[in-house]
Amino acid sequence: MTQQHPPTPPSGEQPRRDDTTHFGFRSVDKDQKAGQVADVFHSVAGKYDLMNDMMSMGIHRLWKRFTIELSGVRPGQRVLDIAGGTGDLTMKFSDLVGPGGQVVLADINASMLQVGRSRLTDRGYAGNIEYVQADAEHLPFPDNSFNAVSIAFGLRNVTDKDQALRDMTRVLKPGGKLMVLEFSKPTNPLLSKAYDLYSFNALPLMGQLIAGDSASYQYLAESIRMHPDQDTLKGMMDAAGLVNCKYFNMTGGVVALHVGIKP
Amino acid sequence: MFPGPTLQAALTRVIEGALNQALELDPPGRTALLEVLARPVQFSITEPAPLTLTLTAVGEQVSVGGSPVEEPALELSGRPLAFAALALGDNSVFASGRLTVAGDTATAHQLQRTLEQLNPDWEGALAQHIGDIPAHFIGQRLRAAIRWSKSAFSVLNANVEEYIHEESRSLPGRRELEATFGDIDQLSLQVERLDARIERLSQQSGLPHPADLPPEHS
Repeated sequence: MTQQHPPTPPSGEQPRRDDTTHFGFRSVDKDQKAGQVADVFHSVAGKYDLMNDMMSMGIHRLWKRFTIELSGVRPGQRVLDIAGGTGDLTMKFSDLVGPGGQVVLADINASMLQVGRSRLTDRGYAGNIEYVQADAEHLPFPDNSFNAVSIAFGLRNVTDKDQALRDMTRVLKPGGKLMVLEFSKPTNPLLSKAYDLYSFNALPLMGQLIAGDSASYQYLAESIRMHPDQDTLKGMMDAAGLVNCKYFNMTGGVVALHVGIKP
Repeated sequence: MFPGPTLQAALTRVIEGALNQALELDPPGRTALLEVLARPVQFSITEPAPLTLTLTAVGEQVSVGGSPVEEPALELSGRPLAFAALALGDNSVFASGRLTVAGDTATAHQLQRTLEQLNPDWEGALAQHIGDIPAHFIGQRLRAAIRWSKSAFSVLNANVEEYIHEESRSLPGRRELEATFGDIDQLSLQVERLDARIERLSQQSGLPHPADLPPEHS
């Protein structure tokens, strides 16, 4: 049975213990969140692309296209695609860097990585792509390794976002670009209401009908509401040591692309 | 900027898809165009809404972007009508300043040549959907229509030109103009020679050149 949450996050003004974090609207121990997020993605990995197309009505491809365009990635460069999932961005980056460059598709979730690897290989993408199961908070790469780092629809699932942003900055080369594509806060109140209605009613129902799992899509809607808004995330990127941080609202702020440069 | 990144991405995606599909129909033309686009070529439409389209070769495809790139090999800027005129073969858009060009002129010439030589096999593409004979029938009619319209346009042009120059005498004829311009060039050359001669004579006589004398006060 689809659980119908009201589209309001808990008034989280009560002080949260330092060892807890959000998992959707719930508070969970920090060391449990990664496991619970992993369960969500193990459950949806097989139908992930289909669900993305259904939920966003295909618009997620345009959001990703704009991200690629702003990346400025050139032939011969090294790119890290964190939470790369089924490899939408990796595919485009692979074309851009060419045979002389390299793209690393990193995801914490083995199921997603497996789906991504199969999909890319089936489409003939091989040779300049490396697959790494990695946690965004503790990236297994040396400092100053990549010309560009992207994380698309992944940051909100990370337990310690500040730590993840710091580590992504660390692995960037000086002058390198970090791009965070993530759901955000709609700028129009009317759109916001319609979006809430859609997220908390249609998404879990679609999840149930297509992926056979409404709870994961209930989590998706809740985690979007708990994610920092545009200006907060920009402040977090500044604090992580990036400069020239700015964001681009897309589809009325439903999604925002944040970009920052490592000095 | 174009209204919103999402719409901009949608527009560039449509253009990119159409362009690559058209290039599929002309493999040699595609290869030549990809060589030209090894470095980005940028088209900036200034009005009514500023819009930038950047073409770059990525693998075997042309990638169309909607954001300005840092160092385009070539940048063409102007209004949509000027781009339309150029597409129809009107090269005067550059001389009149309706289109401005910045960057590598060799790339500009190469791009122009490549675009002129593009010849997609529309008939072959149509034949895949409706069959060879209907496609050939439609192709023949289309080619005849295009030939006729080109010829009619050029005849109309010649007639209008002749009327203006020869019958209404509103403007001088091309040959008259050429003769006048020739005379002006000749005169200019003679004046330069005369100047050089005076200069030489002044140097021989030790007197200053007349042009260097102070103006006389009456």
